[in-house]
Amino acid sequence: MFLAWKEMKHAKARFILIGFIMVLLAYLVLFVSGLANGLQADNVSSIQHMKATSFVVAQNSDQRLQSSQLTEKQWHELQRTKDVTPLGLRMTSVKQQGSQKKIDSTLMAIDPEQFLAPTIEEGQAVTHLRPNEVVGDYSLKEHGFMLGDVLVETMTGKTMTLVGFTKNELFSHAPVLHMTTQGWHRLFGAKVSWNAGALRTAVHLPSIKGVEQASKEEIVQSVPGYKEEQGSLTMMIVFLFVISAFVLSVFFYVLTLQKMSHFGVLKAMGATTRYLARSILYQVLLLTSFSVAIGVGLTLLTGALLPSTMPFHVTPTLLLSCCGLLITVAILGSLLSLNTVRKVDAIEAIGRAN
Amino acid sequence: MNTTLKMEHISKQYGEGTTHVSVIRNVSLEVKAGEFIALVGPSGSGKSTFLSMAGALLTPSSGTLVIAGEDVSQASAQRLTALRRKHIGFVFQSAHLLPYLTVRDQLVLVTQFEKSNNREVQTRADRLLQRLGLQHRMYHFPEQLSGGERQRVAIARAWMNDPELLLADEPTASLDAVRGREVVQMIADEVKLRDKAAIMVTHDHRVLDLCDSVLYMEDGTLKKEQLSS
Repeated sequence: MFLAWKEMKHAKARFILIGFIMVLLAYLVLFVSGLANGLQADNVSSIQHMKATSFVVAQNSDQRLQSSQLTEKQWHELQRTKDVTPLGLRMTSVKQQGSQKKIDSTLMAIDPEQFLAPTIEEGQAVTHLRPNEVVGDYSLKEHGFMLGDVLVETMTGKTMTLVGFTKNELFSHAPVLHMTTQGWHRLFGAKVSWNAGALRTAVHLPSIKGVEQASKEEIVQSVPGYKEEQGSLTMMIVFLFVISAFVLSVFFYVLTLQKMSHFGVLKAMGATTRYLARSILYQVLLLTSFSVAIGVGLTLLTGALLPSTMPFHVTPTLLLSCCGLLITVAILGSLLSLNTVRKVDAIEAIGRAN
Repeated sequence: MNTTLKMEHISKQYGEGTTHVSVIRNVSLEVKAGEFIALVGPSGSGKSTFLSMAGALLTPSSGTLVIAGEDVSQASAQRLTALRRKHIGFVFQSAHLLPYLTVRDQLVLVTQFEKSNNREVQTRADRLLQRLGLQHRMYHFPEQLSGGERQRVAIARAWMNDPELLLADEPTASLDAVRGREVVQMIADEVKLRDKAAIMVTHDHRVLDLCDSVLYMEDGTLKKEQLSS
């Protein structure tokens, strides 16, 4: 595009300035999206990674795993359903033996032979887990925990050995420690029952009094603070997109207004509206793609520089969808300008001194 | 000689009822290839509207308008645009060059609205600039040029699409007497050299002797003025 490119080359400063603001907008959008994504991972990644599709929880627990408690009788009835596996969950804190520093963590009891078993990144296979052994999320490493460490569960004072690390296993902003159901009984006594039963397939449940079935998504949404956290961040992101749309519209519109007399002359010389519109769109696309690309670069750089305790997480899908949206927003923003160009009359070029 | 522009009983009105204004009244005119015509008259006499119709920017309210053999009396905006692109060259008041294009690119631009052969375009642009004495300014931007040079670039640009008809809207308005005369001389030379037609709206009586005939417009009607020389 001859005209578009020559103009950008000539008015470098102007276009670099607009590009700079677009880079900042893209960076802000991507950063907040990364943060939202990271916080989400911190809060519910353990549940999201479960290969379960739904959970059976106690009624009146608001589908919250922590407050759900299945009675022994309910669990007994539930077990007749094939493919149901128990899940114990308790928020607690642990410390290294000999240390005073406690850290919050989420204890989860699972059957290592069943589908809730986590994937081990480092250390001992989960199927060989003994009752006094646990595997924990990688973020424990940041707190100085190492394989073979003896952990003290602070509520019961009982100890267990950390034998493996898992990845992205967090719940309620705390690393998850997975243990076997036997280990659970060892800590909390033989009579303790489960918080929920997990199901992998859609099965018809026998009607059991006092329980209900909730999808994984419902369980995630019910995690305390999750909806509020994601809601406010999503609102920020939406607003950023709206602001981007307006800022870009105004930029392109002002650029176009400055060139109104040029467009009149060009039309008199035989340029079609289509040619001029293409020229503007080309500029917008070039400017946006370039700025967004720099924004992506900055975001990735930020991600690499941030400490891993910072809840910041970007995925290619997230980046691509944000970039796509930004480019769409920029094109929408240029529609106002395109309409203005359409309305320019070639006659304006005649009989005018400027 | 071929007729480049033919106007038969052309009128142009704006508005209706009480706001009705008749800008051009029953004007007939023929311009042949090789003719250079000057159009003079007070402001508000309809010169701009006349020029807009001759330049396929406007269609008449009534009458027949034929440009380069094509009857455009009731042509659509799209057809008018295509006709301007192919057959008409404009020289605007105060040049109206694009500030971000070099002199050479101003000329190349004219051919960009359609698919064109780049090599051929560039030689054509170079040849035109040479003929108008602008070859040393080829890679300069308009802001670096003097008023006279700008107007010369505008003339070169107007000839770029090899039009049948060149229309100049007060090309000397922003120039001193010497520069103004030079610019009009250039238009006259090109008209003779290429056997094209040209119409120039002007207030500058010192350049009228360079034209073949002078038309006088008043209150929307045309009168022919005989040159005294």
